[in-house]
Amino acid sequence: MSDTLTASPRPFAQRRALILGGLAVAALALVLLGPLFLDRFSLNVLTRSMIYAILAITLDLLWGFTGILTFGQAAFFGIGAYATAMLLTHVGSSPALIGGALVLAILVPMILGIAVGWLSFYYGSTPIYATVISLVFPIVVTQLVYSGGTLTGSSSGLVGYMGLPFGLEGFFRLSGLCLVLVAIGALVFVRSDAGRVLTAIRDNETRCAYLGLNTQRIKIVLTTVLAGVAGLAGFLYANASGVVAPENTGFVFGTELVVWTALGGRGTILGPILGTIGIDYLSANLSGELPFLWQLIIGALFVVMIIFLPNGLAALVARFTRRGRNEVVTGGGPTLTVSAATHHTQQGGGPLLSISKLEKSYGSHKVLEDITLDVAPGELVSLVGPNGAGKTTMMRCLTDGKERSGGTVRIAGQDIAGMTPDRIVALGVGRKFQVASVFESLTVADCLRMARSALDTPSCIATAHDLGLPQAAVEILQLTGLDRLLATEVSLLSHGQKQSLELAMVVSLEPRLILLDEPTAGLTKAERTTIGGILRKLTAEMGFAAILVEHDLDFVRDISSRIVVLHQGRLVLDGSVDEVVNSEIVKTIYSGGENA
Amino acid sequence: MLTLLLDIITTAAILFIVSAGLLAIFGVLKIVNFAHGAWLTVGAYCAVVTAGLGLNPWLALPLAFVAGAVLGALTERLIVRPLYARPLDAILATWGLSIVIGQLITLWFGRDVQFTVSLLSGTVDIFGTAYSLYRLFALAAALVIGIGVTFVLEGTRLGLSARAIIMNEALARALGLDTARIRLVTFMIGTGLTALAGVLLTPLTSVDPNMGLAWLIGAFMLVMVAGSSFGALAVACLLFGGAQVIVSTFISPILGGITIAVLSALVLRISSKGFSRV
Repeated sequence: MSDTLTASPRPFAQRRALILGGLAVAALALVLLGPLFLDRFSLNVLTRSMIYAILAITLDLLWGFTGILTFGQAAFFGIGAYATAMLLTHVGSSPALIGGALVLAILVPMILGIAVGWLSFYYGSTPIYATVISLVFPIVVTQLVYSGGTLTGSSSGLVGYMGLPFGLEGFFRLSGLCLVLVAIGALVFVRSDAGRVLTAIRDNETRCAYLGLNTQRIKIVLTTVLAGVAGLAGFLYANASGVVAPENTGFVFGTELVVWTALGGRGTILGPILGTIGIDYLSANLSGELPFLWQLIIGALFVVMIIFLPNGLAALVARFTRRGRNEVVTGGGPTLTVSAATHHTQQGGGPLLSISKLEKSYGSHKVLEDITLDVAPGELVSLVGPNGAGKTTMMRCLTDGKERSGGTVRIAGQDIAGMTPDRIVALGVGRKFQVASVFESLTVADCLRMARSALDTPSCIATAHDLGLPQAAVEILQLTGLDRLLATEVSLLSHGQKQSLELAMVVSLEPRLILLDEPTAGLTKAERTTIGGILRKLTAEMGFAAILVEHDLDFVRDISSRIVVLHQGRLVLDGSVDEVVNSEIVKTIYSGGENA
Repeated sequence: MLTLLLDIITTAAILFIVSAGLLAIFGVLKIVNFAHGAWLTVGAYCAVVTAGLGLNPWLALPLAFVAGAVLGALTERLIVRPLYARPLDAILATWGLSIVIGQLITLWFGRDVQFTVSLLSGTVDIFGTAYSLYRLFALAAALVIGIGVTFVLEGTRLGLSARAIIMNEALARALGLDTARIRLVTFMIGTGLTALAGVLLTPLTSVDPNMGLAWLIGAFMLVMVAGSSFGALAVACLLFGGAQVIVSTFISPILGGITIAVLSALVLRISSKGFSRV
């Protein structure tokens, strides 16, 4: 499965642009020439299918790429369609009003998109809650349409308004053109550096937050923009079909979109387009002859697909590409460069981290109590203690302002009370988790770029050729050999390589304080020595501060400048390496001093 | 006034009956069975079949429970089991299943509205107000289901195991509980209860292949708010069912139809645990 091969020196980007350009030209030719050889029925159906395909793209960006399962795109579509039809019905029709309808059809869904996004995505919200909201929203919109009386036409909808003066062929070409444009836009975006952020959120949202990204805001922005695109599709539909009905806004239509996208292949752009056009076109042709059987087949296919081929038909095709075949790629990827520090260069006076009377309790059970501790730049503080002493809980309290139950934590003088992890990261804190927390379906280079996203805003259209990282991060990559695997997908790396990659990502944040939770767990002796060397260099030479949770007392003794002992939630000892290692307390806690 | 009060209580009872099966599955398995509506429909068609065979209409209740449980066993085994690690995909797969069931019913019975024999008809006199006997019966049925479920959860080995899984699944498995079997049985009970609820709905709504859909969202939202507690479900049904009756009566029946969904979404936004601490 994983043969090693060397990437071709020619950058992929150029070849990809060529393929994309060719595809776009072919698609444009199809939609412009289509009316010459298609009959009226097919033109009609395909116009509708292509508009639905635009919707499928928006759904796919949310669900396939970002991992937000939503049924709400139908409602934004319906609102766009109704905004158009209502304006043209009740106010009148003129070129200016049609232009106004276009603006309304995009703006109103976007404003509602902000509201839906705000409701769905907040710190601590669950994926299923966003899905719940996306169910409620179309139901509310449909019921409002039903209760709208003559304003919305209630259950019979609106018909007979004068829209764009195009014929059947004109609407086919217009819809096709819009589809091609939206598809190209989406293809360019998902391959850009900013587009990778969506996949990163899907893979590991916690890690994104601890890389300083405000994932909630990203998701709200995405929802808002895609609501606008769905509204545009609604505008097209209202003009092309000449009728809008409550079903266009509904939850059932939302589920149909999900079915089409799933069958075509979520997480790709072309899959959902082909899935939607194919199934909608076939449905229109077959539903006359075998109406229920056809639905039955689609339903059964959908179930089988979700269980056995969750990435749809496109996943079958992807097996023929290099990434689909899971190969380790040596070389290739962007060029590593050393970038000058841009962040946190000025050092204020006083301690970097100041903890005072920190407390954490679950109900009446106290996990941490009365912890007071200062850490200065250049210190490497090891936090030791038996399992259940509260070490990981303490790390959590230092990186999430909503965790602790009492006391204060200041970082560079600033109280972190109530702050979300991404804001604490911005203060200069990097956290490495106990189990390597990386992005499994991204490449090594993309993971590192993600770590820089909060500092260097990524481009929405391009992939950068260079990957600028701080000196320390580049050294970690070189010492561990990851610099030669930049184009390899992370899921193919070994456990040790993932740990090193995560450390390099954390260092790329240019933190002043690094928190490491058992960075050497499960590593070989050689890997351990490498990581130890890196940590000593980061603190002693480069002035980082580090707090290390560690069980291996030999390792701790070798690298620490200071050791803090936690026992049953309390800080029992805080001193130099010699003081702590030779103390009676530590020997007692570690039952007879088997390690010391 | 009394009628309004009775409407609120009996509406809450009906919502409780309809949601109980979904909650049993969600509470223990953490899986949203989006084929819930289809099971209600299956239950209702059990009543249609019973009537067609000329049997006592009450026989539809055990028949529906068994049919629901057997179909539920097949579903758990074939569709839900591979998806425990992918809860969002489980929603989709069960939704796909509901399409299949709906179309099968359509192919077999046609898409027309079916008529069933009424289980109980007429009204009774309560403090001078005539009120539907069947709705009062529904209240009693809800109480029986509620007490039955509580008995199973609190008084049987299965209930103890189920509660253990709700609290800490990994630990339950480590202690040697056969979680796969408990999941299967729980799923069967859930779908059986839902089909039973489908029979109980027949006197209140028309029976057609899509009848379950109308109940799905309400039940889904109530279960989201209730978490894994039947007590919380009862509270949610009373509060939101009551709000629905009041909005429908005094403002508009159409807006009444979305009251439960909107209120549940807001409650979940404020506290992600909903009423589950009740």
